[in-house]
Amino acid sequence: MANGGDSIQVDVSQPSIGDGALGAAGLAVDLVAARRGESPLVQAMRRLGKSTTALAGLVIVAILVLVAIFADVLAPDSPIASDQTQTFASPSADHPLGTDQLGRDMLSRVIHGARVSLAVGVSSVVFALFLGVPLGMIAGYYGGRLDSVIMRLMDLVLAFPVYLLAIILMIMFTPTAGPIGTIKVVAAIAIVRIPIYARLVRGSVLSIKEKEYIEACRALGVRDPSIFIHHVLPNCLAPIIVTTTLGIATAIIVEATLSFLGLGTQPPTPSWGWDLKANVAFIQANPWLSLFPGLAIFVTVLGFNLFGDGLRDALDPRLK
Amino acid sequence: MRLYLLKRLIQIVPTVVMITFVVFLMMQSIPGDPVVALLGDAYTEEDAVKIREAYGLDQPVLVQYFIWLGKLARGDWGISILTGRPVLQDVLVRLPVTLELIVLSMAVALLIAIPAAIIGALRQNTWADYTATSVAMIGVSIPEFFVGVLLLLAFSVGLHGVLPSSGWVYLPGTCPNMVCGVSFWGNMQHVLMPAIALGIGRAAILTRLLRASMLEVIRTEYVTTARAKGLSEGPVILKHAFKNALIPTVTVMGLQVGFLIGGAIVVETLFAMPGLGTFGIDAIIARDYQQVQGFALITALAFVIINLLVDITYTFLDPRIRYA
Repeated sequence: MANGGDSIQVDVSQPSIGDGALGAAGLAVDLVAARRGESPLVQAMRRLGKSTTALAGLVIVAILVLVAIFADVLAPDSPIASDQTQTFASPSADHPLGTDQLGRDMLSRVIHGARVSLAVGVSSVVFALFLGVPLGMIAGYYGGRLDSVIMRLMDLVLAFPVYLLAIILMIMFTPTAGPIGTIKVVAAIAIVRIPIYARLVRGSVLSIKEKEYIEACRALGVRDPSIFIHHVLPNCLAPIIVTTTLGIATAIIVEATLSFLGLGTQPPTPSWGWDLKANVAFIQANPWLSLFPGLAIFVTVLGFNLFGDGLRDALDPRLK
Repeated sequence: MRLYLLKRLIQIVPTVVMITFVVFLMMQSIPGDPVVALLGDAYTEEDAVKIREAYGLDQPVLVQYFIWLGKLARGDWGISILTGRPVLQDVLVRLPVTLELIVLSMAVALLIAIPAAIIGALRQNTWADYTATSVAMIGVSIPEFFVGVLLLLAFSVGLHGVLPSSGWVYLPGTCPNMVCGVSFWGNMQHVLMPAIALGIGRAAILTRLLRASMLEVIRTEYVTTARAKGLSEGPVILKHAFKNALIPTVTVMGLQVGFLIGGAIVVETLFAMPGLGTFGIDAIIARDYQQVQGFALITALAFVIINLLVDITYTFLDPRIRYA
């Protein structure tokens, strides 16, 4: 039984913007590169460097990471200090994006919001990776009853509509503010996404384990953990990397959505989703307020999607 | 085919039981007590015991679940602790709102995606293709609620507020009681922005996918053959290429259901619509066990039925696919 959570795997098979004419041409380039003695990794980096989409995405992501790291320096004001004399101020020199109903500087909130968004996006995916990849590897490599148990468990999670599960998990964890609250959001999103990696890796491992080099390893007496790390993992890395990048984009949207529903990051911690929701109530009188947090979410997700698309084309030219 | 349908319909049962059971366990493990919330300041131990008994909340969790399941088999979806109304009645009142939203949003998605993908694939690497693919990239990156906010800014705040920002006017025939507003035009005004907000993201995903499969299909030999036979471009594209390119698209449309349900929660919350999405989120937050079970049940049913419809659609798209 499949559900919406699969869309990332589907994403992997989608071509990206401006691809197309490659294919035969891309193969010719590869042959030249191979003759030059370049490793597949160097070839992939070369292709990545040539992709405008990937570079555009990388620039957006890099800027956002810098904004998140240097938020304290970049933000003109505190994102949580309220100034009751300055509520709902229109954009001005003092407050370039205006202030909200508590008189908090919107620009500072949007800048600080990058922290929660990126932290949740990246760490939930890393979490899901660390649990999903080994599970998929074990299931695929050993097969049999272990495989059935692991994959049925994964199917159970996948049988749920993503948001229903994430929402109930958040209610179970009780949303709170601060770092603990952020960890809860990370956990909820990670749990929902573990099966995606488990399935992806299991599929790759099923074909890799039949390869002769794995048989050779076993004949040489290499132990299983070593086979996993040195021989199986590197050979299923490409789809993992692509799914991870695109997965960060999805995780950021899920975080924003949970916060929008009031179940994600809690105030006063600045979060784009929450700010958008809080300010929609005042959309008639102060239309700009809900615009900026939304734009921030959009640009961030776009950055990761562009980069992920470019990465997929670079890592797996056959998909073109 | 009939036997296959019967088999599939029977398979719905374990899936639905599993989803509702897990939701039941999860809801029970949430800290807090709905009875305390219900009684509020008037809480006394005696009343609490009475209410727990009346709703079967004093039973062990597993027993509670099987009682629920037993009632369900007789068509009883339970009674909400907090509102005192039968859950099925509330679900049936809200179902048409969400169904209308989802059907119209899929219509929006297909209306945008089909022409965009066909033009993109036929005019590959021209400005038309680049426009279609770039817009699709923007579409997959923009969350539903932000599309909704942009629409609100354009049509409710700007343009003299031509479209209402919240609330609902029922379609004739779906009004649950005597006091609700009923009008076709009023309904269209209320559903337009939510349907677009929910449809845009789907349109983008379908455009990307359909364009990719069209590109693959138009290079196949049977398309060349069709052209060689002297068929004009229209039938070649629509009958030979498009129909075959639709198969992966239909699969993804089925997979999108999970996201559509989540999207419906978000969009209904943003536009304050009285649909199943707002019903579900309110029930979960209020810990109204019976209502949450009802929501999980209708969600699970929607899920399996749509997946079944997807499988049946295959047989129309590709007559070689047969289910015995």
